Amino acid sequence: MKLPTLDARALILISAAIVIDNVVGETVYLLKIPLFLDCIGIFTVAMLAGPFAAAVAGALGIFIGGLTVQPFALPFVPVGFMIGLTAGGLARIGGFRTWWLAMISGALIGIPTTLVSVPIIVFLFGGVTGSGVDFASDYLVAVGSTLIKSVGFANLGISLIDKSLTGLIAFMIANRLPLRLSTSFRFFAHSRG
Amino acid sequence: MDRQRAQAARTLLFVTAAGPLHALNPLTKLMAFLWTVSAAIVLPPTLTLALVVAGVVLAYVAGVGGVVPAKLVATIVPLAAALALMHGFLIVRPDEVPLGPLHVSPAGFRYAYSVVARIAAMLTASLLFVTTTHPGDVLASLDAAGVSPAVGYLIASPLLLLEPFSKRTRAIRDAQRARGMNLTGTWKARVRALPALLVPLVTLALSDLDHRAMVLESRAFGGEKRRTVLDAPPDSRGQSRFRRIVGALAVVQLAVPLLWH
Repeated sequence: MKLPTLDARALILISAAIVIDNVVGETVYLLKIPLFLDCIGIFTVAMLAGPFAAAVAGALGIFIGGLTVQPFALPFVPVGFMIGLTAGGLARIGGFRTWWLAMISGALIGIPTTLVSVPIIVFLFGGVTGSGVDFASDYLVAVGSTLIKSVGFANLGISLIDKSLTGLIAFMIANRLPLRLSTSFRFFAHSRG
Repeated sequence: MDRQRAQAARTLLFVTAAGPLHALNPLTKLMAFLWTVSAAIVLPPTLTLALVVAGVVLAYVAGVGGVVPAKLVATIVPLAAALALMHGFLIVRPDEVPLGPLHVSPAGFRYAYSVVARIAAMLTASLLFVTTTHPGDVLASLDAAGVSPAVGYLIASPLLLLEPFSKRTRAIRDAQRARGMNLTGTWKARVRALPALLVPLVTLALSDLDHRAMVLESRAFGGEKRRTVLDAPPDSRGQSRFRRIVGALAVVQLAVPLLWH
C-alpha cells in the first residue's frame, strides 16, 4: 500500500498545528482549567488536510512535546496517532460540518483515545500521569474500583468533555480562516456546511 | 547566523557548552535516548535508578549539570507523591498494614518506586538529549543521513518554532493582563479569558502559512530526494556502528521479555 504524500502546504500546517497544540496546552495549564485542549491543532489539520496528515501531526506533536517539555509523554505517541486518524476519518464523513456535529465528533474521538491511552497509563506509569485526572482516578480507587477501571472511567469522562470542546474550537478556527487559505486545502470541502 | 542561533539557544532548553555530549552526532544521542527508554521499561528498578544516577553524572560532565537535575526533581517529585498515594495508601493489597487511620502497603510502595525509577530514567535521558542538542543540528543530521526533506522538516520545524511561540504566548498573556484581564480569579473568569488568549495565538500561527508554503515551493523543497548539507554535524564510522547496535538492542531488549511472557 502506498502512503499518501504531503505537499509543502500540508507540511507547514502540521508544523503549525504541533506548535499550536503545545503552546495552547501550556496556556490552559497556566490558567488552571481542568482540561487539556491540546488537540486543537490536530483537529484543524484533520479538517483541512485529512486523516494521514492529522495522524502525523498527532504522533509527531507528542514526540516533539516529549523531547522538549514533557519527556514522560513519549510513550503516548500512538494516542496522538489515533486521535489524528479518527478525527480525519470523521472529517471525511462530514463530522465537522456544523458546530454541534464537531462537538459530537470530538466526544467520539475521546473513546478510541481512551482505549489506547489507558493501558499505557496503567502498565507503564502505574495509573498516574501527573495531571488533574489523577484526582478522579484516586477517588475511584479509594471507593473500591480496580486501577484499570478507575483510570479508564476518569480518563473517558475528561476526554469526552475535553475533546468535544476541542472539536468546537477547531471548527470555529477552521471556519474563520481566510477563504484563500482554507480553499487551498481541497479536503476541507468535506467539512463545509 | 551564529547570533540567531545564540538567541534561539537562550529560549530553548539547549545549553551552549563544549562538553563531550555536545560533540556527538544528534542521531547518536537520539538512539542512546531511545535505548534508555526501552531499558527503563524492562530493567529492574535498581538498575533503572543506576541509569538515572549515570545520567546525572553525565549531565555534569557534559556541562549541563545546572539544568538536568533541577528539571528532573521538579518533574519527578509531584509524580512520585501521586504514585505513593495511589499505590501505597489507596489500592487495597494483601500485604497492607494499619498505620493510624490509614492502611499502607509495602508492596504498593515498592511498585510506586519502580515506576518512579522508570519515569526518572526516561526523563533524564530526554533532558540530556534536549540540553545538549540544538534542533538545527537535528535537522542537519537527518538531512546528512539521507532522511527525506519532508521528515526532517516535520521534526525540526516545530522544534525551532516552539520557543519563539512560547515567548509570543507570554507576550500576549502580559498584554491582556495589562488591559485588565483576570487570569487568576474564579474559574469562570479564567474560562472567559481563554478565547482572548487563544485566538491571537492560533491566528498568529496560521496567518503566514500561505507565505511560508510559497517560500518552500519557490526553493524547490522536495525537488530532490536528498538534500546536500554544508555544515553537517560531525559523524564517524564508530558512531554509526554504535547507533546500529544500540538501535537493535533497544528493540530486542523490549521484544524478548514481551514474547517470553
